[in-house]
Amino acid sequence: MERDRGSAATLAAFAASIALGATPYAARSDWTLGAGADLRYDNNVGNAQSSSDIVADSTVDARLTIFQLFPLGDDYSVTLGGDLRGELFRRLTGLNNASLDGTFALKRKWGLGAFAPWARAGVSVGRSSYDDSYRNTWNYRATLASGRRVDERWNFWAEYAFERRAASAQTPEVPGVSADAYSQDSHDAAVNLEYSLNENAFLALGLLGRHGDVVSTTRGSAQIYEAARAFAEDPAFGPDAYAYKLTGTTYGFRLGINYSPTPHSLLGCGFERLETHADGGNRYAKSIPTISWDYRF
Amino acid sequence: MHRFLAAVTVLALAWVAVPSRGAALHVLVKDPHGKLIADAVVLAAPVDPKSAQRAKSPADAVDQVDKQFIPYVKAVLVGSKVWFPNSDHIRHQVYSFSPAKTFELPLYGGTDAPPVVFDKPGVVVLGCNIHDWMVGYIYVSETPFFAKTGSAGTATIDDMPPGEYTVRIWHPSMEHGEETTVRRVTLNADAPASAEWELGLKPTLRVPRVSGAGSPGYP
Repeated sequence: MERDRGSAATLAAFAASIALGATPYAARSDWTLGAGADLRYDNNVGNAQSSSDIVADSTVDARLTIFQLFPLGDDYSVTLGGDLRGELFRRLTGLNNASLDGTFALKRKWGLGAFAPWARAGVSVGRSSYDDSYRNTWNYRATLASGRRVDERWNFWAEYAFERRAASAQTPEVPGVSADAYSQDSHDAAVNLEYSLNENAFLALGLLGRHGDVVSTTRGSAQIYEAARAFAEDPAFGPDAYAYKLTGTTYGFRLGINYSPTPHSLLGCGFERLETHADGGNRYAKSIPTISWDYRF
Repeated sequence: MHRFLAAVTVLALAWVAVPSRGAALHVLVKDPHGKLIADAVVLAAPVDPKSAQRAKSPADAVDQVDKQFIPYVKAVLVGSKVWFPNSDHIRHQVYSFSPAKTFELPLYGGTDAPPVVFDKPGVVVLGCNIHDWMVGYIYVSETPFFAKTGSAGTATIDDMPPGEYTVRIWHPSMEHGEETTVRRVTLNADAPASAEWELGLKPTLRVPRVSGAGSPGYP
């Protein structure tokens, strides 16, 4: 099992230097810059079912975004952009990671202005690099979204995404059983609603559904072993920990309240609850409270 | 040379010292809690329409600075030409659906956009098709006697012919229509008149400028 502790830091430093180098140019052009940070607590990082296997941890996540919108005629626009993100775990330091993504999206608006209905199709490609490099993945995501701001108070949109995370092949622990536990395909759907309380604050509600591969780092049992399509060591959670790839369906919701202290920034306080039913009778749940900050230049 | 400069100075001081022959109206606008209201447009229409003759307004401008319309509220005389310079480093697409003026300025930067003539009285709501949170207002006035309140809630209309006027107030967030604010005011040349309005405002709702990484404003 490869544990290259420098990979996340190297990717982050390389991407940050490109982003910082581009900042003066971006500030004078149609490029828009954004920055953000989250403080999050996940009460079940490893997606474990048994209480003795559940590991909770808190994370700090920082991101830098750059994008440009190119209008194509009256109705269409194309957005090109990129995200640089870093995530630090308080206890599970092997999960510290940096990622770099590039996004292309085509958007159609039926009419002018903030209240015109819209639809968007997008693809993104990225690389995530972990301190424990056996978790490194190439990430591919295709999204379809559509929505409408009904008025100044109500905003509604729905999104579907297909996501593929492709990890490097690992040497099987057991001959004939795949060790590719960290590669995942999933279908995600979300319905979102925002309600403005006043000029500076709004509530957000999201209903979430996901079907596809899940990785559960948990104590092995005959049931989970039989249901798993791949398994591999997961030393980020300890010397005896194993990650199992299962097929599962997740339902959940996200609630949040957001406040803009200045026109350029947004402070958020959110709560996410997810429940997953996976093969082999493996059921687990997680709750994730988050405090977030976003800044748009 | 010294005599000439002295003569010019005396003439200039005399011109400044001579009081204006027009009447003036000082207005204070506040809400029911006493909070001073900025961006309220004060409109004074002479009862005698012959008095409503004034020089044509010069061209006006509504700028775009830091992805906002500056000023937020602009009052212009009907028939005025308004330029929409873009002082941002990114391009904007200004539009309005308002019955008083429907127009669209395709994406532009700098001072490339042609001026727009506002030839019908009424309220024109401005937006940018790229930046949904950008909102601005142009009040197109039929009367040449108007002013806008500043942060102190005050506005002054001067150089008005003495006589009777119907005065009303408009604000983008006013609770009731501007017809509920109409008052008759008599102006004399010898002393400025003062009037105070109390205006109920609705809470302002705007499209959030920063909407977070998960929301549709994020490409």
